[in-house]
Amino acid sequence: MGQGLFQRMVGIVIAVTVGGAAALLWFAISATGNSAAESRAEGIVLGVWRILYDSEAPQPRVILAAIAFALLLSAGVALLERRIANRSRRSANPRTPLAPKIVMAETRGVYAGPVTVTVLIPAHNEEASLPATIASLMSQSHRPERVIVVADNCTDATAALAREAGVEVFESVNNTKKKAGALNQALKWLLPGQGDNDVVMVMDADTSLDDGFLEAAVARLSNDRALMAVGGLFYGEEGHGIVGQFQRNEYIRYSREIGRRRGRVFVLTGTASIFRPRALRTVARGRGESIPGIRGDVYDTASLTEDNELTIALKSLGGLMISPMQCTVVTELMPNFRTLWAQRLRWQRGALENLGAYGATPQTLRYWAQQFGIGYGVIALSAYLLLVLLMVLSLDIWVWFPFWLGIGVVFSIERVVTAWKGGWRARLLAVTLFPELFFDMFLNVVYVRGIIDISLGRQAKWKHLNHAQTGETSKVQ
Amino acid sequence: MAISAALPAGILFPEELLHSDWFAVLATFVAINTLMYGALTIAKILPKLHPGDWIRTRNQRSETRSIHPDAPAVNEATDFVNTRSRQGPGSG
Repeated sequence: MGQGLFQRMVGIVIAVTVGGAAALLWFAISATGNSAAESRAEGIVLGVWRILYDSEAPQPRVILAAIAFALLLSAGVALLERRIANRSRRSANPRTPLAPKIVMAETRGVYAGPVTVTVLIPAHNEEASLPATIASLMSQSHRPERVIVVADNCTDATAALAREAGVEVFESVNNTKKKAGALNQALKWLLPGQGDNDVVMVMDADTSLDDGFLEAAVARLSNDRALMAVGGLFYGEEGHGIVGQFQRNEYIRYSREIGRRRGRVFVLTGTASIFRPRALRTVARGRGESIPGIRGDVYDTASLTEDNELTIALKSLGGLMISPMQCTVVTELMPNFRTLWAQRLRWQRGALENLGAYGATPQTLRYWAQQFGIGYGVIALSAYLLLVLLMVLSLDIWVWFPFWLGIGVVFSIERVVTAWKGGWRARLLAVTLFPELFFDMFLNVVYVRGIIDISLGRQAKWKHLNHAQTGETSKVQ
Repeated sequence: MAISAALPAGILFPEELLHSDWFAVLATFVAINTLMYGALTIAKILPKLHPGDWIRTRNQRSETRSIHPDAPAVNEATDFVNTRSRQGPGSG
């Protein structure tokens, strides 16, 4: 799977759906007709609402309808997601071999020993950041039992530094499949010797665990033998000026959102996530049959975003997973807009391709909804900016719209509240609203580009930035 | 939303543009979207409600889920509250 017509159709399906929704609203407005044009001294009449030169707010019933629609839609998606998750938990269907009910039955009354942690760190020329990553592991309150650096086609001192730090090194052999390929080789070698509670953590070489991460994760995995994975919550490192602050704010908001969802996972992040061997073995067995990929591979090497793909794979097999608030990691950020563009285009493209590979299933509903949501947001934000631009370029006086200004204040408050934990710099950037609005617009352009690329079947390109050459950081791809 | 006073009338477009039907539709389209996103924004500011917590159900598990077969069965809600002790770091 993966290169077929459906794969290319994903972008078109999303574009048509969100475009259709916007068009529907547009025509509904047109159809209501404009109230008689009322010429005021300095102004215009706006369709159904006289809001432009009036302090008058839209009609209450329209306000209520719009608000109710938005809230019902978001609540509907959330409820549906909960329902699907609960059904999956209680499922005894053999198609979901990782469902808690099945796992519980298979492990009832069996003690497979205490939870031990084996860490795999895929690394491709990561000598700059690897020592700090290993140090963060060794200083954990619950130290990992084993740390294995998976050195993939390294031409620097990655392997030597790892040995110096006293950890094991697994070198990939003839690997052409990047990070996923290297991890598959390492897991094929490692998994047969792992017991039920000998969990495997996969973490990036440019990431540092906060203290307490492993302790919290081990406690969770000890308390619930049906728990198949624990994902980390990532925060951005310091530095990189305003581009860094944009990303830090974004990550803080994402973590807050996961907290509000009580740890229910969107993506088991590649920066640091822990898996039960049972989960990884089941995925490897299921590939090529119930889930996409090559049988025997834990990671799907065809996917651009292997962490997102593995999350959907585990969910499709019924696996229970969580991102506890205590499991936090600090990860490297993209230093400029050029590298950020490349990273986000890969994420976006990967997410779309994964949806194409899995199709529309109950487990992928949340991800489809997310794509539709972003897509509609692109249209809404573009229309807003167009409106402001047209008015600025067609009028010559100050015009205040109290009602809409009020809404602007609400948006500002939301930005500040959601980024509050980031400290004063995060709050300052948030309260100014417009810089983040343009950052959102930047991400929207990436999103549109991703949709266009996948629809035209363009080959996705990899960009691996070398620390040594550019002074920039990158993830192992 | 405010319009800059520094700009002369019709800096790029004639003011008639703002009287056109399609502009009225655009403004209304934006207004409705703004309201919808405004509602979602307020929902994001407010603390999230978990109605399930208000109903005292029997969340007692019928059997332990621990890796230790002889561990006591725990209550799901209590289990969750116990794990919310520490918050992650910020970046400021």
